[in-house]
Amino acid sequence: VTTPIRPILLNSCARAATAVEARFRIDRPIGGRSARVIALDEDAREVVARIAAQVSGNAHFLTGSELAGSPSRLEEELEDADVAIMVATAGAGPEAAAAIAQACAERGIMTAGLILGDRLEVGAAVSALRPYARVLMVTDDEDDVAEVLTALRA
Amino acid sequence: MLKTEVNELLTQTGPATPAGELFRRYWIPALLAEELPENDCPPVRVKILSERLIAFRDSEGRLGLIDEFCAHRGVSLWFGRVEECGLRCAYHGWKYDVTGQCVEVPSEPENSNFCAKVKLTAYPLVQVGDVLWTYMGDPDRRPELPAFEFAQVPAEQTFTSKRWQESNWLQALEGGIDSSHVSWLHSGGLKSDPLFKGAKGNQYNLNDMRPFFEVAEADGGLFIGARRNADEGRYYWRITPWVMPSFTIVPPRGDHPVHGHFWVPIDDENCWVYTFDYHPLRVLTPDERQAMKDGHGVHSRNIPGTYRPEENKDVDYLIDREAQKRGETFSGVRGIAQQDASLQESMGPIVDRTKERLVSSDTGIIKARQKLRKAVEALRDEGTTPPGVDPAHHRVRSAAIVLPQEDSFIEASREAVAVRPGVAHSSV
Repeated sequence: VTTPIRPILLNSCARAATAVEARFRIDRPIGGRSARVIALDEDAREVVARIAAQVSGNAHFLTGSELAGSPSRLEEELEDADVAIMVATAGAGPEAAAAIAQACAERGIMTAGLILGDRLEVGAAVSALRPYARVLMVTDDEDDVAEVLTALRA
Repeated sequence: MLKTEVNELLTQTGPATPAGELFRRYWIPALLAEELPENDCPPVRVKILSERLIAFRDSEGRLGLIDEFCAHRGVSLWFGRVEECGLRCAYHGWKYDVTGQCVEVPSEPENSNFCAKVKLTAYPLVQVGDVLWTYMGDPDRRPELPAFEFAQVPAEQTFTSKRWQESNWLQALEGGIDSSHVSWLHSGGLKSDPLFKGAKGNQYNLNDMRPFFEVAEADGGLFIGARRNADEGRYYWRITPWVMPSFTIVPPRGDHPVHGHFWVPIDDENCWVYTFDYHPLRVLTPDERQAMKDGHGVHSRNIPGTYRPEENKDVDYLIDREAQKRGETFSGVRGIAQQDASLQESMGPIVDRTKERLVSSDTGIIKARQKLRKAVEALRDEGTTPPGVDPAHHRVRSAAIVLPQEDSFIEASREAVAVRPGVAHSSV
């Protein structure tokens, strides 16, 4: 073990972390994420429509069918995105998720999946999304969609 | 990101605060049993949830946790004497029993009943496992005693330590939910720590630095699954349960004991971290127990006679740049516990969550905050009992398992994450 470097001044050691100085940290403006929120099935589409009316960020709200069926629209939507959040319920299949996830992977866009429903009843949807979402959350709380968007500054 | 008012809602736990009321619905660790080792031993100062208390063990072994200050002139009872079934104030000899009842005021006439009118705040203090637990809420709502497996197995199968962390409880807890830092900050320990090394799962951990995450609701909190590639067509899953408000279990490694934490607010800028290791089936070996005492695994190496880690804020955590350069430790700080604490304390005493920049791999943290906020608000507005109070919610395990790629970790691990007496942990 090498001799540890001892702090010389209070402002150059770990003790400098105080409640007072912490108020002045990271004061440059922090930009938001450019998010796409994509409903993968009919029930999810209704949820996403409700969330779109509630949140005030810059996220775009879309449906999987309109994107998966139109490569040009998909390309256009993903052009400046940095996260794609796929929202699904028990009825979701893998097709739209696969097309979206592949396009995201090619562009280095992070993918996340929110599956709404009882955790014991959405196994098929979880399996369908698992290969395509780096992060999956299974929840019975619709508010989680808005909560995630807010937390990500989307 | 959280709004200022939500950050304050979740981080302030003093009396009459909404999150303070939440904590006061649970049994929480107050001390280690070793802190009151024998009848009439010295009293111990305890500060939790911003309340200053004193713990003592009377001549008949009864445990007391009462207001630290004498009702007479407000001096600390820590200077007092534990004798003849009570704690006597060193100033004028007022004496209190374990219920906080004053039983003697020496300056009053012998037949005076003045002392019957004097009673200090007192909370129950009960030993379960290595820990003395207290319940600081409404006595009419006191739940059944905690039923966490680490505190239920025989004494020779479990070990608990504690350490002081100089940060708010929530940023410490969030470190326990955030599996994504393990492959970075703690990568050195996976190869060398006597309480980790040798498990096959370690290799899966180190071979795949970009885990996928799944977060699922549990009755008492959450299950957070981190998924890495294993052998062909299979995933290696590490499943961490979080039981509200602040209990987590780290997924096991091989046949090593299983560890976890309970974070308890001291005040809004400090917390106690209770760290346990247990094995559900076998006695801990002398070597394992010694390793835990020496600060290996997730325990800390404390300054003798204290619960303050040697690697603390005052000494820049004894950072060793050469060890960092050699790759023995990723951050240069020794020990997993203080690797975490050093970074969490550097955030400031209460991190300003309006300024953070979360990414989607922080979904577990986002969901945990949301569950806490909803529980705090439901208790405040409707008196709803929060998740994690019911002892049935305590009977969960962490798990490390390899599953076919198509399997859902929630369904496939339903048995693995339940406490099954006489059955080993699911571990790789």
